[in-house]
Amino acid sequence: MALVEVIDVVKEYRKGEHVIRPLDEVSLEIERHEFVSLMGASGSGKSTLLNLIAGIDRPTSGEVIVNGTAITRLSRRQLAHWRAAHIGYVFQTHNLIPVLTAFENVELPLLLLPFSRSERRKRVALALEAVGLSDRADHYPRQLSGGQEQRVGIARAIVADPLVVVADEPTGDLDAESTEQILELLMRLNTELGTTFLVVTHDPRTAGIAQRRLRLEKGKLLDRDCPAHVATITEDE
Amino acid sequence: MRFLRYVLKSLWGHRTRSLLTVGGAAVSLFVFTFVGGVRGGMDQISSGWNERSLIVFQIHRFCPETSRLPEAYGKTIAALPGVADVLPMRVFMNNCGATLDLIVLHGVPPQKLRAFRDLSLVAGSFSEFETRRDAALVGRTVADRRRLRVGDKFTVGELTVTVAGVFSASNPAVENTIYTPLEFLQYGRGLNSVGMVTQFEVKVADGADPVAVARAIDESFRADRVQTDTRAKGVFESFAVGDLAELVGLAGYLGYACIVLVLTLVSSTTMMTVQDRAREYAVLQTIGISWDGVFRLVLAESAVLGGLGGALGVTAAAAVLNWGGLSLATEGVSVAFSASGGLVAIGLTVAMVIGLAAGVFPAWQAARSDIVEALRSS
Repeated sequence: MALVEVIDVVKEYRKGEHVIRPLDEVSLEIERHEFVSLMGASGSGKSTLLNLIAGIDRPTSGEVIVNGTAITRLSRRQLAHWRAAHIGYVFQTHNLIPVLTAFENVELPLLLLPFSRSERRKRVALALEAVGLSDRADHYPRQLSGGQEQRVGIARAIVADPLVVVADEPTGDLDAESTEQILELLMRLNTELGTTFLVVTHDPRTAGIAQRRLRLEKGKLLDRDCPAHVATITEDE
Repeated sequence: MRFLRYVLKSLWGHRTRSLLTVGGAAVSLFVFTFVGGVRGGMDQISSGWNERSLIVFQIHRFCPETSRLPEAYGKTIAALPGVADVLPMRVFMNNCGATLDLIVLHGVPPQKLRAFRDLSLVAGSFSEFETRRDAALVGRTVADRRRLRVGDKFTVGELTVTVAGVFSASNPAVENTIYTPLEFLQYGRGLNSVGMVTQFEVKVADGADPVAVARAIDESFRADRVQTDTRAKGVFESFAVGDLAELVGLAGYLGYACIVLVLTLVSSTTMMTVQDRAREYAVLQTIGISWDGVFRLVLAESAVLGGLGGALGVTAAAAVLNWGGLSLATEGVSVAFSASGGLVAIGLTVAMVIGLAAGVFPAWQAARSDIVEALRSS
């Protein structure tokens, strides 16, 4: 069974008298440890699809199943608890909490889970080490570069060891050098930790690191490539 | 509790706004508590006295300086049925109008004072008061306000007295009083009061009807040159400070207005915070905080602002009321202001309730906002 199953999902918005349908009967499966990129023109519905899988939006019809849980059937509160335990979200604009240090930002998701203080500290330290920012733990977002902020955002997304990390244009606000570092980091997390990624991007270079590249056009999903390879790390490892 | 640091850091992150709001709440709760303390002082005038104590005053007189009763009336009153004891009193004051700087000397027979007042000496001795002609027993509130100590001399008008003791009393209004020997105020230079007193305080015997005793006293002197007007002590003093009571009653509305003010202030600050941080709350929800979690976070910030400001205001008001030795006096009756434990508790509760109430609507807005829409907002 695939880790993520999107089944005949339709999403409609009403804008005045017009009905906009960014997703039109989209179906998709993402395997565990897979790295999937999703490209498409602006307004093609790629962020909408990502938000549905992340459980922060609901489809008009269809089903989204993650690791066997039909998240479309969860209540708002259940969905929040589910997100805390199973989803990591990397934003385009980092969206770190400005009044918290890098350490505290990364720790936030763990505050929602039953971890002890020492366990939280250990996990945050590991996450910051994984993104190469152990020495910036006490820095506030304003004291970090854009690339560093994004790495803290990635640490926050992986710290609870989620089932899936979704990233919405993770390199969209970065210069070339920072983009390179972030892409290397995402690849390393996928290959070394086996993290499952779904990355929405405009950037062909970012899409290029994915094992499978998908494209959305006018609400329809085009499967460009078949799975080339899946990260070789198994659940047991 | 795990998010307490986030709440406090968020408030500190917007410290100018937070401090201004805390300051506003503090000022409002200061006024609310201060007005409460003033009202409490007025209430003590009518409730602090045993209803079985009567005051016999000259009829149609208001200021104590104008009431002059023959001291011999005391024997007639003492002989009436239902009268347990009589305390003649000569009242001397430096001002008859409403003032913050009134000094009142109550001249009483020294041996009788303790039978009529529940006093505890905190300094000095009763024996000195009973033997020294110009001795004064000074209430703790007056002593603190005037920085008087045992042995000090002070002058009121042309009278100079020596502090023989400082006392505390169960009734705060009494602590605002200065007692001297009766004869000192009768024979003092320029007083022209030999054989005269201002009033009598009458203890009604157990089982006797105070109203009937008061009527009997006034009836006894109906045909005399100087007629009397006898009332329960609380009623007498409430009547004396009647105009002040009306003023203080109006000030009560000011206290309630302050509550509305702080509610509006904290609510608007919290609302601004929610609008400014709509995206941040959406991020928190994205990482897994539920809508009711966001509701509680906003409510917590609002409660901290209202509660902290309120606590500062209530504490400051209590300090000023209890240690500032503030009092107001008119027609010889002193009203001592103080903040009781009950008033402080009410002030703190009001502050906390306001903090929470002010946050409900902004918290609801933050909790119910659409995550995707909020993330898209700039």
